[in-house]
Amino acid sequence: MQLTSSGHRGVGASGQPAPSRAGAPGHRKTKTALAIALLVIAASTIFASTRPHYGSTARVLIQHKINSLDPLVETDYPGDRDKLSPLVFETLTELDAQGHVHPRLANSWQSEAAQRVWQFQLRLANFQDGTAVTSTIVVASLKSVSPEWKFTVYSRQTFTIETPTPSPHLAELLSLPKFAVIKRLPNATLVGSGPYKLSQWQPGEHALFTANDDYWEGRPYPDAIEVQMGASMREHLLERNLGHDHAALLGLDQVRALEQTSQNVVLSRPAELLVILFLQPDQAARNGKKAVDPHIREAIADSINRSAISNVLLQKKAASTTALLPQWLTGYAFLFPDKPDPEQAHKLRTQAGAVLPVSLAYDFSDPVSRMVAERIAVDAHETGIAVQPVGDAHINTRTGRKASTADAVLLRLPLRALDASTALAAVADDLDLSPEMLAAITSAGRADELFAAERKTLEDFRVVPVAHLSQALWLNNTVHNWQQLPNGDWNLDQLWVEGAR
Amino acid sequence: MSLKAKLLLLVTLSIAVSIAAVAWLIEARTQRYFRQVDQERTTTLVAQFRSEFAREGEEITGAVSDIAASEPVLRMAFDLSGGGDSAAHVNDAASYAAIQHLDFLDLYAPDGTIISSAHWPARFGYKQRWFLNEAGDQPGPMPQQTFLRQVETPQGNMLAILAIRTVPARGVNFYVIGGRKLDSALLHSLATPAGMRILIYSAPDEGPAGFLSSTSQNFEADKLMPLVQKARQQREETSTTIEWSDGSPEEVFYAVSLPGFGDKPAAVLLVGNSLQQQNALEAHIAKVSLMIALFGVAFGLVLSGIIAAHITRPVKELADAASQIGGGNWDVHVEPASHDEIGQLAQAFNRMTQELIAQKERLVQTERVAAWRELARRLAHELKNPLFPLQLTVENLLRARQAGPEQFEEVFRESTSTLLAEIANLKTIIGRFSDFSKMPAPQLQAVDLNELVRSVVQLFHGQLSRGPASIETVLQLDSVPPLNADPVLLRRVVENLVLNAIDAMPQGGRLIFRTSTADKYGVFELSDTGAGLTPEECERLFTPYYTSKQHGTGLGLAIAQSVISDHQGKITVSSKKDEGTTFHVELPLAGST
Repeated sequence: MQLTSSGHRGVGASGQPAPSRAGAPGHRKTKTALAIALLVIAASTIFASTRPHYGSTARVLIQHKINSLDPLVETDYPGDRDKLSPLVFETLTELDAQGHVHPRLANSWQSEAAQRVWQFQLRLANFQDGTAVTSTIVVASLKSVSPEWKFTVYSRQTFTIETPTPSPHLAELLSLPKFAVIKRLPNATLVGSGPYKLSQWQPGEHALFTANDDYWEGRPYPDAIEVQMGASMREHLLERNLGHDHAALLGLDQVRALEQTSQNVVLSRPAELLVILFLQPDQAARNGKKAVDPHIREAIADSINRSAISNVLLQKKAASTTALLPQWLTGYAFLFPDKPDPEQAHKLRTQAGAVLPVSLAYDFSDPVSRMVAERIAVDAHETGIAVQPVGDAHINTRTGRKASTADAVLLRLPLRALDASTALAAVADDLDLSPEMLAAITSAGRADELFAAERKTLEDFRVVPVAHLSQALWLNNTVHNWQQLPNGDWNLDQLWVEGAR
Repeated sequence: MSLKAKLLLLVTLSIAVSIAAVAWLIEARTQRYFRQVDQERTTTLVAQFRSEFAREGEEITGAVSDIAASEPVLRMAFDLSGGGDSAAHVNDAASYAAIQHLDFLDLYAPDGTIISSAHWPARFGYKQRWFLNEAGDQPGPMPQQTFLRQVETPQGNMLAILAIRTVPARGVNFYVIGGRKLDSALLHSLATPAGMRILIYSAPDEGPAGFLSSTSQNFEADKLMPLVQKARQQREETSTTIEWSDGSPEEVFYAVSLPGFGDKPAAVLLVGNSLQQQNALEAHIAKVSLMIALFGVAFGLVLSGIIAAHITRPVKELADAASQIGGGNWDVHVEPASHDEIGQLAQAFNRMTQELIAQKERLVQTERVAAWRELARRLAHELKNPLFPLQLTVENLLRARQAGPEQFEEVFRESTSTLLAEIANLKTIIGRFSDFSKMPAPQLQAVDLNELVRSVVQLFHGQLSRGPASIETVLQLDSVPPLNADPVLLRRVVENLVLNAIDAMPQGGRLIFRTSTADKYGVFELSDTGAGLTPEECERLFTPYYTSKQHGTGLGLAIAQSVISDHQGKITVSSKKDEGTTFHVELPLAGST
């Protein structure tokens, strides 16, 4: 199979016409030129407010603190980081809103029949320090992420990747932010090839991305994108009232209040997975705690009233689910029954005998997780199982979970790709899936194979999906072409902001 | 116990009992007073709690009423009763509760489904039916006042003061139930006097019951449960004293049932009053009482000693005098020390003593005369018997001298032999009297009683078994240690007794010899099966010269008694008429004196 695509980016994914870049007029007759000039001036006056403008700084608020843009560094909120890192770092491929793969730094690619060896051809592009993007640098970058792959450099622009098992979705997989091509300088500076340069970086506080004038696809419209991190909800509202901000990531608990004031709130499709993960008993840091009885895990899964969580707690900004991937992405999620079964839960609870309380850790800073954890505890309580919600600031990282003394954690895992197989593979690490399971996912060529792999993942109730959450984004009316993908990711290629020159 | 000791004890006991009675009275009065004070303090504290409870209840009732009557709630009720989405109101309760400063607030649909909960937001959608009647869809009697109830929260059950109000909309009732927690803070706010504490017991519909306490002091809940149950069942104030196992001071607990929803009492107010102060004061009183009692007893001892000595000295003199008289010393005179009853008693004693001495002298004189008369009678009797043959013989001789020489010669021979025999008889009689007057002192030595008895039996064997009136001898001899006795005199006693027994059984019979040991005495008994003696005969049997036999001197048993008495022994006789007689002799064992 050969998947070849050009790097042409003439039309924005939102469907809006691509803004015309500045260019020189042709040689005409003087009259004609004057007439045209007058016409242009008149049109500019009329449509100035809707036409893309260069310049200005887009100010963005993010609730969570991001300490590093490096995808190799573990972070508590990778979803938020993955929204910012594409501004600086590019991947070889990218997926569009429909999940179709397109070239980015890779101009073209092809694989051999077994789909284990893939050859990539790089486009002519430069890093932000002016050096060229070469196979050697790309291979070095990818090797740091996937050391188990075998890389071969054939030329300055051509290299191959050989995976241990067949990887029919390798091109889609390489669109994940963690596979971003990064040039690592000896002074630990990270250099990307993206449309923005990282000009200022205060970890967890503030970041300033300035436009890359030498970007291979052309300079972006805004002069800069300024990101304020860790802002409290109160600050968010205050800033919005003053009209200083252009965009803000919202928690679902904040949406209702803003909607009631007719603010411009954009919701993604229900994509972010809210899932209970029962921690593995063999983790050394768990102080010898025993794993939760499988009957109890299943009983808790059966007791959860997912509909109440999605429709009432989350005000219909979420979809209840017992599948890992959303129905709109896979088409098979409905095969997983999502109705609560209290009778079965009671039966399982009885079978389990004496049961110790189950501690359920949730992200301390996330009100949505707290609400859902408490509701899960209520539902379990009605079944006769004591679930104790516990706020924990470090459960979002694997290291934090290893150190946790909780029996289970309530995680919010972003849908990192709009390709089902890639999306499922992307959460394998977070869900502690076995290498065999990961191989089954990455090698799944058809939907039924992926369904089987997902069902296998869920059959022991160690992973209990609860809901898919929408991502909410508030946008100022002065912001244009801020494209939010179905999974909540941003495409800011055509972004422009009013008020510029 | 002497009279003095008795008097001493009596006076001391009287004083001690008096003091004990006074101490008991003081303690009882003190306890009653303390109980009254405790009751007053408890009543005050309960009244304070009720006042605080009522004040808090008014605030809660007002707050819940305000919420139920507020426009947003009415709008919610109309919205939902018309099929609106309850999800839009899931967070309403929290804001209402915050405005009204309520700890708990639930908004309920007509069927008891939680629309919104301030204290447990995640619990929406679940049904609560405790405030509904059995049908579940119609309201039960709704109390207008506040009530106590355990409220479920994520942190567990909490006791709360709650009020309930209905919100009618389109023919159905929505419910607003709100309140504040009744926790230790409220109890702390009460001015609890020192030594007192307040506990509140409450039990949820399901799950373990618990206590709230105004102090951090631990207590054994089990000990309070009977009182709690009693208060819950009787619904009236009750109390009991609790003794803690850990040695803490006793506490009197008063239990008051507190109102719950409906008929069921939700909680019990317990007011504990430590008895530490009371016990300390009572201990102090007891200590003082004890000291007074000890002083009183000591004082009583001294006083009663003096009194007893004063009273008992003349009595003791009288007793000593009586004792001396009992000991044979008749020359005793008691000097009257006073003119009271004791003095009169002493004078009477002296008169009685004088009278007794006089009577005794008269008796001795009488006895002496009687003895002489008896002696004279016996002598006359003894001498008369031989004299009569002598007289007849001499008369025969005189008549024979007149008759002729041959006849005289024959009569003379016969008469002289008779005279000699009778003279010998007189000599024997005189010898016996002489022997009686000259009883030798016993030569004491170790004597084997059984051997002596066998020897006597052997001696009399021929006589006993002779003729038709033979006497059967029976020996029942136990092992007897040697006696301290004169063997000759003792043998004479035994022989005398045997001869008496033979005389008592002219028709034959059975003679039983018994020996044994009793304490420090060897015992010899001799029983016959003769005619026996009357009690009067037994009484006089050892009197000298008394005899029931035709030819007896009446000295045999008198001599025997004299011999036994000289051996520091004792001889008695027992007899039944027609059954026989038994002589009982006790003699000291060798080495016992």
